[in-house]
Parts: sequence; C-alpha cells; structure tokens
Amino acid sequence: MSVRVLNPNAEVLNKSAALHMNINAAKGLQDVLKSNLGPKGTIKMLIGGAGDIKLTKDGNTLLKEMQIQNPTAIMIARTAVAQDDTSGDGTTSTVIFIGELMKQAERCIDEGMHPRVVVDGFDIAKKAILEFLEKFKTPVVMGDGPDREVLKMVARTTLRTKLYDALADQLTDIVVNAVLCVRKPEEAIDLFMVEIMHMRHKFDVDTRLVEGLVLDHGSRHPDMKRRAENCHILTCNVSLEYEKSEINAGFFYSNAEQREAMVAAERRSVDERVKKIIALKEKVCKGTEDNFVVINQKGIDPPSLDLLARAGIVALRRAKRRNMERLILACGGEAVNSVDDLTPDCLGWAGLVYEHVLGEEKYTFVENVKHPNSCTILIKGPNDHTIAQIKDAIRDGLRAVKNTIEDEAVVRGAGAFEVAARQHLVNNVKKTVKGRAQVGVQAFADALLIVPKTLAENSGLDTQDVIISLTNEHDNGNVVGLNQHTGDAIDPEMEGIFDNYAVKRQIINSGPVIASQLLLVDEVIRAGRNMRKPS
Amino acid sequence: MVWGQNGQVKKKTYRSLYFNSSTTLVPPIPVNNSQWFRLLNSIRFCCLSYLTFNSQRFRFLNPPCNYPKSFCSRSFLQIVDNLSDEQSMKELVTFQVGSYANFIGSHFWNFQDELLGLLEDPQSHLIFKNQNLDMDVLYRTGETQQGIPTYTPRLISVDFQGSLGSMSSRGTLYNHNPSPSSGVATWTGNVSTQASEPHKKNLFLQRLYDEGQEINESEILDTDVVKSLEDGVQYWTDFSKVHYHPQSLFELNGLWMDPKEFNNYGIGRNTVSEGLQGDEINERLRFFMEECDHVQGIQFMVDDSGGFSGVAASLLENIADEYTNVPVLLFSVRSPNYYNTLTSRKLSITSNLHDAVSFSALSSLCKLIVPVGLPSLNESRVSQYLNVEDVKLYQSSAVYASAIHSINLPFRMKKMGPTGESSNESGAMDLYECIQMLAGQGRQNTVAILDAAMPPPSMTGKRFQQPLLGNLHPLTPETAHDVDDSQAIETMIVHGALGAGEKEVSVSEVREAVETEYENTSSTRPRFSHLSVSRCPLPIPLPFPSIFNNLVGRRGDLLSNSPTVSESPSRRGPLDVHSIPMAARLRSSTAVLPFLENRLGYIRKFGIERGSIGANVLTSWGFGREEIEDIGENLSKMVLALNPQQEYSSDDSD
Repeated sequence: MSVRVLNPNAEVLNKSAALHMNINAAKGLQDVLKSNLGPKGTIKMLIGGAGDIKLTKDGNTLLKEMQIQNPTAIMIARTAVAQDDTSGDGTTSTVIFIGELMKQAERCIDEGMHPRVVVDGFDIAKKAILEFLEKFKTPVVMGDGPDREVLKMVARTTLRTKLYDALADQLTDIVVNAVLCVRKPEEAIDLFMVEIMHMRHKFDVDTRLVEGLVLDHGSRHPDMKRRAENCHILTCNVSLEYEKSEINAGFFYSNAEQREAMVAAERRSVDERVKKIIALKEKVCKGTEDNFVVINQKGIDPPSLDLLARAGIVALRRAKRRNMERLILACGGEAVNSVDDLTPDCLGWAGLVYEHVLGEEKYTFVENVKHPNSCTILIKGPNDHTIAQIKDAIRDGLRAVKNTIEDEAVVRGAGAFEVAARQHLVNNVKKTVKGRAQVGVQAFADALLIVPKTLAENSGLDTQDVIISLTNEHDNGNVVGLNQHTGDAIDPEMEGIFDNYAVKRQIINSGPVIASQLLLVDEVIRAGRNMRKPS
Repeated sequence: MVWGQNGQVKKKTYRSLYFNSSTTLVPPIPVNNSQWFRLLNSIRFCCLSYLTFNSQRFRFLNPPCNYPKSFCSRSFLQIVDNLSDEQSMKELVTFQVGSYANFIGSHFWNFQDELLGLLEDPQSHLIFKNQNLDMDVLYRTGETQQGIPTYTPRLISVDFQGSLGSMSSRGTLYNHNPSPSSGVATWTGNVSTQASEPHKKNLFLQRLYDEGQEINESEILDTDVVKSLEDGVQYWTDFSKVHYHPQSLFELNGLWMDPKEFNNYGIGRNTVSEGLQGDEINERLRFFMEECDHVQGIQFMVDDSGGFSGVAASLLENIADEYTNVPVLLFSVRSPNYYNTLTSRKLSITSNLHDAVSFSALSSLCKLIVPVGLPSLNESRVSQYLNVEDVKLYQSSAVYASAIHSINLPFRMKKMGPTGESSNESGAMDLYECIQMLAGQGRQNTVAILDAAMPPPSMTGKRFQQPLLGNLHPLTPETAHDVDDSQAIETMIVHGALGAGEKEVSVSEVREAVETEYENTSSTRPRFSHLSVSRCPLPIPLPFPSIFNNLVGRRGDLLSNSPTVSESPSRRGPLDVHSIPMAARLRSSTAVLPFLENRLGYIRKFGIERGSIGANVLTSWGFGREEIEDIGENLSKMVLALNPQQEYSSDDSD
C-alpha cells in the first residue's frame, strides 16, 4: 500500500484481484479465438464502421484487427504474434493454451495453492514435454529430393484450417512446388523469393503458380510489344531519366545559352546510357527473331522509352527491389548497376514475356524460364477480402512447408500430440515429482487437452466423450487423433494430418512462460494517468 | 456560384470524378492516314500514359465512359508539350502521415477539388477558368476495372486504424461489391459476422452522396451543412469531398494502445520497422512513382507530435534509399491541442526529448524541413482577420492548409519560355529549384519558416495602403521576430491579390508593389528573394470552417470599417466568403534560431548530460549513447550554420 502514500490517485489492485484480472483477461482472449481453431472452426467476417469487410480465420490477423486495450491481453497477444513471426503458425493455439493454463491454475489457487507452487509444476512439466516432443516427433529425411508427400500433408493440414477443402488441396500443390522451387541446397530457404501477386479477377480457383515472375506494372510506351517470345532479359539498376544534377550545382546561370548547354549535356549522358543498352541488344539479337526486355529498378523517362521502343526493346521501370533478386534467380544473368561493362553474360532468358491489363492495373508475366529458382504465386479472387484471406492462408502454408524442411521432422496432428503428452505427464512424470508441485504438473497436463477439446467442440461433438475415447485408445498403446466428423479416434499418420515440429515446440516453450509471469503478479498499480504535477 | 449576386445562392459542392478540361484541344494533327492509323492503334493500348508521336507528346483525354476506345477521334488528344522543350519536372507525390497532417491534407485536397470544379463550371469566374495550373502535378488519371475514368490525388495517407470514420479505406471510386451478403467464398464452415456500428454520415457527406446519385434536389441546406460541420467534425474524412484512390489510404493496425500513448518517436519507429506494414506503405509509394514520367519531388506532411514522426522517419529512409535524387519537402505539423496535453513534468521531459530526436531525425532525411503549428493560432498575429478556436482541429488545420496550398502553387504553374509572359501568373519553379534556392546555397540551412497573410491587404491604392511584408506572420513556432539577417533568402507567393475597390491586380502590378516594398522597408532586405504571382485566389469550398472575422468581405477584401456588428455574425464562413487572396512565404533566416536552440538544449539537458533524467527514456526508444551524441552534434551543426559567432560548447547547456 506504500504506493498509495506516494500517490493517492494510483489505483491499486491487491493480490487476488490482480490475479483474477489477469486470469479473466486470458480467458476472455481465449473465448474470442477459440472458435477459430481447426478445420471445423468458424470464419470471422469483420465489418468496419465504413462497411469495409475483412475475412479471417487466422488468429494472428484477428488479433491485429482487434483494438485490444487490456494490458494483460496485450501481453498474451504479443506472445502470440511473436509465435507467428518466428514459426509462422500456431497463434490461435498459443492463445487458447495460455488461457487454459490460467484457467487450470485458477482452480488450484482457489483451492488454496500458492501460485508459486503451480508455476514450479509448470516448469517441470514444460521440461518434460519438450523432451517428450523429441521422442514423439516423426523424423523426415530431407535429402536432395525431399519427400513431397510429407510436405504436401503438412501443407494440406495447415491450408484446410483456413480454406475449404477443394481450394486447400489445389493450393497444397502450389505451395509445395513454390518452396521446392526456391530451395537451394545447403542454404536456408528464403521465402521472399516466392513472390505473391494478386489480381482482382475471375475466381479463387484460378489461383496458380507461375514458374517465373509476375510484375505488377507494364511498359509505359505504346509502341512496345505486349507479347514477346524468346526474350533476353536485362535486369538493371541504372537511372535512365533526366535528373537535375546533384546539390550545389546551383541553378543560376549567367545566360540562357549556358543553361541550355547544361540541359543538353545532361540529356546526352542519359541518351548515351540508353544507346549502350541498344548496342547490346543489337549484338545479341542480330539476325535472330529474339527479343530484348529491360527491367529497371530506377526510372526511365519518356524520351528514353522512345529510344528503346524504336530499337524494339520492351522496357519496364521502377521494378520492386526484391524483384531484381527474383529475376536473377528466375531468368539467370546478373543485375547490373552500370551500363559501362555490359556483356551478353549479364542477360537472363525467358521464353515468354507478356502483359495483362485489368483496368488501370497492368501485369507483366515473365514465363517459360529455364531453371527457375524463384516463382510467383498468382492469387485470383473476385474481391479484396477473398484475396486477402487466401493470401494469409498461402503465407501460412509456405511457412509450414519451409519449417518441415528445416526441422526435418513433423508432429502427428489432430490433437494426437496433446493427448499423448498429457498421458505422458499423468502416467510417468507426475509420479517422479515430489510434493505439491504435482498439482502444477496435473494442471499443465489438463491444459494440454484444450486443443483436442476445442477441436471437438468446434465440430459439434461432446468434449467429454471425445477425451475419454481418445485417452482410452492412447492407453491401449496407439497414437490417436480426433476424427472431426465422427468424434472417433483415428491414426493421424494414416489420415495424413501433420503439424510443424517448430510450431509445437514454440507453443510449449512460450505458453507457460507468459502464464507463469501473469500468475506471479500480486499487485497491479495503475498510475501515471491523471497524475498531476506534485507541486 | 455567381459573383456579386446577392441573396441565397446555393453553393455547389464540386466533386470532380474525372478531369475533363477541354481547354486546349488540338487542332487537326498534320499526319497522313497511315500515321493516323498507327496512332489510333497505339491509343487503344495506352489510355493512361502519354503518347509520343512525331516528337510531340500527346495526352489522351478520356472519352465519355460509354465510348468504345476504338472510336476515339482526334479531339480527344491534347498536346502536352513539345519534346524539344526542356524536360520539365512534373509530378508531385504527397504523403500525409499522422492525424493532424491528414486534417490539413483534407482541406488541402478540398481546395484542389474546388479549383477543378470551378474550372469546369460554365458559371464560374473567369479567373478560375484561366487559372493555368497544371493539376496533373498533384493528380493522376486512372481507370476502374469497369472502364470508368478516374482522376484522383497522387497521395499516400497514413493514420490510425479507425481514423477514417465513415470513409472506406478503399476510397469511393473503385468499390463494386461491398455488400457482406455476397457470402464467404473461401469457407464452407460456419461464419460469424462481427459488424461494428456503421458510422453515421454527417449532413455534408449525406449531401455529397445525394449529389453523387444525381439527386439534384437535395433537401439539405447549406446553412445546415455548415452548422453541422462546425459542431461535429470528428474525423478528417467528415469534411472531405475528394475521391481517393484505393492505394491512398493506409491504416496502421495492431498497435494495441490508446492513441494517447502513441506519443513518441521510439514507439512509431518500432511499429513500422518490425512488421510488414512499412513494406506495404513503400509498395504503395512505388505504385505512384512508377507512373510518373518526371517526378519533381515528394511533398511530405507529418504530424510530428507523436509516434508518427518515427513512422515518417522510416518511410523517409526508404525514400532516400530508393529514390535518391527525388527531393523531399517536409512540413512537420503539430496541432494546437498538443501543447495542452503536457500536464506532468515527466510527460513534458519526454516530449521535449521527442521534439529534439524527431526534429533531428526528420531534418536529416529531407532536403528542406518546414516546422508548422503554433501553440495558439488564435492569439497569434496571423489571426488578425481570423477567429479560430484552437481546440477544433477542423478550424486550425484549415489555416495551415491554405498556406501550404499557396506554397504549392508555383510548382504547378506552367513554365514559360525565356520570352513567354503570361498575364495570369509568373514565377513558376519546381520543387527542386525551390529547395535549392532556400537550402542549397550559402549557409546550407535546411530549416525554413512558413509565413502567411490570410488574407493580405490590398496591393494598390492609397486608401488601404498597408505593407504586405509587415502582414506576413509566421506559422512556424518558436521564431524570433524583428531579426536583421542580411543572409536571409525567401520565396514568396501572392495569389488572387486585390487592389483598391475590390479590383483584381495584374501580375505586373503585384510584382511592382512587392519590389517597392522591398525598397522601402526599414529592415534589411533579404539577400535573395523570389516572387511568384498568380491571379487565381484561394477558393473557399463549402466544407471550409467559418473562421473569418467580420472584416473579411465576400472576395476576401478587407472592409475598412467594420460593418455594424449587429447585422453580421462574428464569424464568416464559406457562405459569406467565396474566395480570398493569399500571400505566403518560405524564409530561410536566423529567426528560426530559437526553435533550433531549444531542441539542442533539450537533448543536452535531458539526454547527453551525465546522469540526465531522460537517458533511460532514450534507451527505451532504442538509442545508444553514441546515437544520442550524434543527435546533439547534428542539432548544434544546424545552429552553427546560422550563427557561426556563437560558440556552443557542450558545457553551457542549461
């Protein structure tokens, strides 16, 4: 209460009130996200005050859309979002797991346990589960040719929780192929090398993988070809526009001739750069039907465009910085920063370059490349919210595949891990723990069951029946998950339901940490607002 | 709106869907048939861009939307300029970052929209018809997927989520199926809908909507509209009549904090640098930049009183990286309310540190920075003819927007050749030239002061003779007055000036009057000055606040003897004042020293000094010891540039 003495306006919540505030916040957040989980979850349509629509089934997106004000809820949300940043999925699971840990802890505390004891139990259980996970995971051998089937199963498991089955299955192939396309031996996978482009056009099922690149702009000259075959591609970062010279050149001229001379000189240097590119084109295309495409990260002004167009070159300006890298990976060649030392070796190659116009939006497709190490997922959809939702799903799918390749392991899903882990805690670990920390271990074990419980609940099944049938089946020595349709136990391996190892580990790691922190809070002081100057 | 007409004239709310100026249609182009055929062919593929043909550039004017493109006739072509001429830098991209910047921006675009509307209106005054301003500098031509042409600002606005009120972030033109009933195509399971209460459109927006639906007989009266705006503007979109492009409006989400806590540089910095949101804003900038043929620069307004300055700093870093030679003119704006929130000592230290850090960061990332925003507009000398309630953002932002509009005019004036003289305007320059002039020479001072006279006194005639220069008062805070600075450089714009008896003054008369004043003025004449003059006054659109006092007449003329107080209201608004002349000035002068010295003092006192109170705060914003010292050095360099005599050792920091 010493705070009161220092600042009579500070609001102070005492021990049990503080604890309950935290627990309630965690439960509240859990309630919001709970219905999202799993392939039978509910999709949320958010309509803003101005009629804007957002569709989401992704915990991460939903959290970001919510105007969370409660400090405890913000802490949990940050953990969950960090979960998404590091492992790409599992936001919803993290939130409901934390919520459940708090709920189970509340029960113990209400019975008179000290939070410290519960937290000790959490620690023991967490260590045990992480060890258990190592044994439980299914190793996947990633040699030069990864097992496509496993990757597909992982991707399908993720995508089916976000999109309807037919679309999810279609995207599964796209996502797996995309990751394998950008995968390079001995190097970490850079998912940025998969471009995700969207067009508001046609339907969601028209989404496809383009081996090559789709750029969201087109040439800016009417005489340039809209479609060109057998193209040499020059990727460059060279300014082809007239620019006033750099600072300090001054803009006062003693007479008009000087001024014009300067302008002309500037112009000439730009023209020379353009002419060097044209010379290269002449060199490589002479006598053939081949075409030449310039993709520039800097600007190209109309006179330069005009020169290029007259030489039969297709030119695009202001390409995305990342596309410069992607272009090299897709078409070969190298990105040049100066036109002084142009050689035919700098050039990449694409079988087909064409433009697609939708209203004011132009898209340039660079396709039929030889050995693509970069590709584009082209999302189509009738409206923005559909596109945005597919985009979220694809992002999750890509990361699930990437995680699998990097982890070289997967975890059997459909709640199988949670059931097994719970039984492991109750049957083996708890007995080795002495004293009251057992209660904490038990609470942790029960909290794990929230995942299969929620899956069952969202499918309209009876949670108690499901848990009993799953634990029984498990104690018979089988690894079992939940069949969403019947509520029966299934073998996730047979059904091809796999989760990411990294995601599971991250959830087990971060959930108890944040829950413990919140449980150990015994006073909440709200000061700083409305504080007047102590004068 | 007809000039000089008494009685109740219903004021039109112009809202230009697309720009259809038919001022300079080309006479038949001397081409033979085969060339003409080729030209038509290329048009079919190129409706957005310019067209180069026979070394002339043409712009394709959008035909009526139901017109198939293949039927384009020659009358839809407009000569833009001859290629043989010097390439003029053209397009400006505008950024508005933060709440108050968006309030100002909203007024700014209303002015532009009004000018466009007046240009098309057959009844408008001749001045507006011959304004000779190139609106393409600020606007872009586009087309929706249905083929309907659009004309929208080349703008990126960043604000909090939920700050758009009843406006959709997709803008108003490109929406087709906003109905939620269309169902969810991507999910066959359950759908739960969470609809927030729709924002109610105020009377003004309702009327805009009615007019958009071609319900001409809207029952909403001007007076009601004005009144509802006076009382209830909450969001900047409440008084905006402009159509925005879907790429223009960006909402920052996932902040999870009260906007009041989003109050320092550090927070803003983290928000954008962490997530993908910074990337997305940069992508949008790329979208606008890609279409520009000759971008002349970026005009950036940032509300630097809080976290948005951190957001702006990381955006500016990207600009410096990607578009190295594109000059940035930065207005760092601040609302009068900001000064009232500093209630505790801790808060005021934090905010002082924020001021120093934010100013140092922003100024190093742009070519010219103009701090704007007085603690109290109403008590300032600018408000000689104004009556502004400081607490209302809607009112104070209108004043700043007017001044920024004026500063912007020379960038849009058509450049004449060396001999060409226009009777409508003179003194065109582009953004680069403006910055070069103010910051590029001599002292290399990159901080400019914004002054305005709103409205300026009459330019000619003995009866009301008042000095124009003496009527320009700063909108930049913490400036010194009455400084004698022989090194000063200034650029001034006077537009729509009136002379004795409400007569418009010609361009040359304004030039002469200003020249005479420079000659006769008692204080030191600036080392260099530039003057731009236009005959086109500032149009007062309907959603402009009633901030003029009763000395301002219908055309912004100053009534010498206040009319009998009883018959006119104490505040005059868009229904009483239809346009005003404006004078504004950017000035590079030692008068800005107090502003700089204060910031230098803050960082020294609270940040650099050993054991200073603010060191922890700065660490929590992610600044290391060395970076803090760099900030101090940066600021003291700026001070030294203006005041080389004074030695600022790091000891005298109290």
